[in-house]
Amino acid sequence: MTASADLASRFATALSDAQGEITDASSWPEVWELATSLSSATPVVSPDAFEQLRRGDRPDPADPLRSIADRAVGITQARLAIAETGSVLLIEPSDVDRAVSLLTRHLIVAVDRSNLVADLAEGFSWLAAQPQAAAYATFVTGPSRTADIERSLTIGVQGPSRLSVAIIQDSSS
Amino acid sequence: MSASVQSFRERYKRAVRDPDLKPRLLAFQRSWRHSRDAQIQRLEQRTERPFEDLRQEFAATKDRVRASWDDYISEFRSNAEAAGATVVELDSAAEAVEYITSICQSRGIDLVVKSKSMVSEEIDLNDALERRGITAVETDLGEWLLQLAEERPSHLVMPAIHQKRQYVAQILGGELGTHFDPDDIPAMVASARDGLRKHYLQSGAGLTGANALVAETGSIMVVTNEGNMRLATSLPDVHFVTAGIEKIVPTWSDAHDQLQLLPRSATAQQISTYTTCMTGPQPGKEMHIILLDNGRRDMHADDGIADALRCIRCGACANVCPPYQVVGGHAFGHIYTGAIGLVNTTFHHSIEDAAGPQGLCVSCGACETVCPVAIPLQQQILHVRRRAFDAGHSPRWERLALNIWSKPTVMRTAMGIAALLSSAARGLGLVQRAHVRLPLPSRLRWRSIPVIPLRSGQTLIASRQPQTPIASSPAAGLTVDLFVQCLADRLMPQAVDATARLVEAGGATVQVPGGQHCCGLPAFDAGDWDTSRIMARQTIESMEQHTHPIVTPAASCVIAMQDHWPQLFADDPDWLRRAQSVSDRIYDLAAWLDGPGRLPNNSLQPTSQLWAAHRFCQTANRGAPEARIDQLVARLTDSEPAELAEADVCCGFGGLTSLAAPEVGAGILQRKLDCVNATECDILLTNNPGCAIHLNAGAHAWGDAHETMHYAEFLANLLPNDGA
Repeated sequence: MTASADLASRFATALSDAQGEITDASSWPEVWELATSLSSATPVVSPDAFEQLRRGDRPDPADPLRSIADRAVGITQARLAIAETGSVLLIEPSDVDRAVSLLTRHLIVAVDRSNLVADLAEGFSWLAAQPQAAAYATFVTGPSRTADIERSLTIGVQGPSRLSVAIIQDSSS
Repeated sequence: MSASVQSFRERYKRAVRDPDLKPRLLAFQRSWRHSRDAQIQRLEQRTERPFEDLRQEFAATKDRVRASWDDYISEFRSNAEAAGATVVELDSAAEAVEYITSICQSRGIDLVVKSKSMVSEEIDLNDALERRGITAVETDLGEWLLQLAEERPSHLVMPAIHQKRQYVAQILGGELGTHFDPDDIPAMVASARDGLRKHYLQSGAGLTGANALVAETGSIMVVTNEGNMRLATSLPDVHFVTAGIEKIVPTWSDAHDQLQLLPRSATAQQISTYTTCMTGPQPGKEMHIILLDNGRRDMHADDGIADALRCIRCGACANVCPPYQVVGGHAFGHIYTGAIGLVNTTFHHSIEDAAGPQGLCVSCGACETVCPVAIPLQQQILHVRRRAFDAGHSPRWERLALNIWSKPTVMRTAMGIAALLSSAARGLGLVQRAHVRLPLPSRLRWRSIPVIPLRSGQTLIASRQPQTPIASSPAAGLTVDLFVQCLADRLMPQAVDATARLVEAGGATVQVPGGQHCCGLPAFDAGDWDTSRIMARQTIESMEQHTHPIVTPAASCVIAMQDHWPQLFADDPDWLRRAQSVSDRIYDLAAWLDGPGRLPNNSLQPTSQLWAAHRFCQTANRGAPEARIDQLVARLTDSEPAELAEADVCCGFGGLTSLAAPEVGAGILQRKLDCVNATECDILLTNNPGCAIHLNAGAHAWGDAHETMHYAEFLANLLPNDGA
């Protein structure tokens, strides 16, 4: 197994340990295909992801959160994926950037294969080197959860109840 | 919506009356322990470093920050301000409340959505806002349930762990106007999601705590599982951050180190769902960071307490705490719960608030073994207890009992009378298996009263033939001083005799220096250092008559001499030196039999009885090798112990705890005896007389089949028959 394949497989294992799902989609068109297969409603797309997809509904900049609350499927892009923990790093300085990852029911996160790193330490050193990114940076690991009622693990309490990650093979070539 | 704190006695009574609390918290502690240990083990494998190194390293980072606290605070402040945040340093809870209120009022904000923040609990923010006409809504599900029930958190990270699902269904149904099936937790969670959502949309401000404040960029790091914090920091126009000034770390790399330790220690997760790093407000919005002192600088100035400022609020100390399992956090703590709450309440609230639960702590030291920042919690609790005692917050009966205990002649007379009464009870047929059956009040009925023998350990030794040596140990030909220990002397004379015989079996001669009484441990534990010093001095004077090695059957006294005496005499160089020269000579019997007085493997007769070993918790929790009496007994008798689950968990004796809080003593004892009974052993061995007496009295009252014994007695009974 190549080093890169090893990272991808460790990422997939850690993600599923955190009740997230790895998808087979490996290009932006496949991500779109997946999103539209999950629901008849049009997917909502974060500004980052829209630059890649050029389609889908976008949050209304005048009232981004209310405009898309509880939509069935959302697509966003992560800057890093962490193999150790199955986390994705979302950089979302404003409401418009955050709306999709905060409020859609099923969130699909796309991340470039070249941005898959080994561990959280690499994630933090990346963050330390990018002061702009730390305006609002979130390591997301699986779907929203709570165990506040009798320690019973319940998924999807406030944020998305499903989280899927698509690893995009190098799109630059 | 107010949730004022009841008096400690009220909270304690409520807790012990709740029949569901103990079993639920027991299940929680066991499952947490299992998952947390697995996570820590994985971390150790991945980093190729022991947990001890990782926690010491991060503790050192936190200590380094405090050594230049003002520099780091101003670095954080200037970076956060450069990013557009407003940073205020406030001294007291009142000032923090005032600041938040005035910002809300000036912006016309009447609804604040809150993500979980212990500092906001500390300053009682919700009530204060309510009084000014501002509504605060907790958005963490657990915190919201508490708010609806007008309760306080009973755990640092699982605030509603004391609530059962039937109760949750009731309060949530009341709030949302629906009927819930208590067994359908997903339905309750889904409705809570919708119920909370409207508050976010209407709120003018969001409030969060901070798990870390990163100085190098002026950022805050917040960790949650639900994602409510992300909503509370995104929808409203104003974001308040309430954080204690101890939350500062220098760099992102340090924040990473904290994150290695925090979720694993808190919820036994590798990482929580959301770890959000924020620097300044989003464009067009406001961020106000309130850096709160409220007693933290006083903690820093107090050498015995300062290390508590390393705390990252993971709650691990509660998750292994035996009394916490019995009474939960409403009784075991104040606003802050668990072991850390017994310490920091003194500074964030008051010594009165801290005093109540002190008597619940059994000083087992389990908290220290899992604390991810290596806070010496056990010692700190003893320091707070001393303050509480000095401030007059201890029961009068306790003071009186300690006063009597410190007077050897009075004690001798009292025990003599008790022995005669025991003997009379035997005459009346009230004695079974060395315990007296008496009509006791129900809170004490879980424990029988041990018979007090007419002859003390010291008397017994003076009138017997010494044991013939069975091996030539390195100590052969030496004289050994026996420290018999007060409890063993009066209640377990056979264990004293057995200790002497085992030492003699290695070829040494045993003598008992006169004037022995008590090392001072009970008074030290109770915070009564003056009385403790009186007893320690008696012991030192007695032991100074000779210069031989000292052996004792009592593991607890070894700790008192080695750990407590240096503290008692810290300001008295002469007595400190004398104490030191005595404690340098002390050996726990097990350490002696494995060390200078080593008896060879299989040198005792084999046994056909199935035995299990309960290791005295304080010795076990500090990793002392002499705690491994199971290994000692196994190697001397060529036998294997029955596997005892939770062997290092306290038995519930806890010095005065089992008297001051009998429900706690009984609850912990039940947990222990359930584990013992599961082994189906014939004999339970232990290395501390206090534990042996407690375990034996409980097993007798409940009619358990096994016998309890000090391991010395068990071993001495297996000495080869020398015809003596």
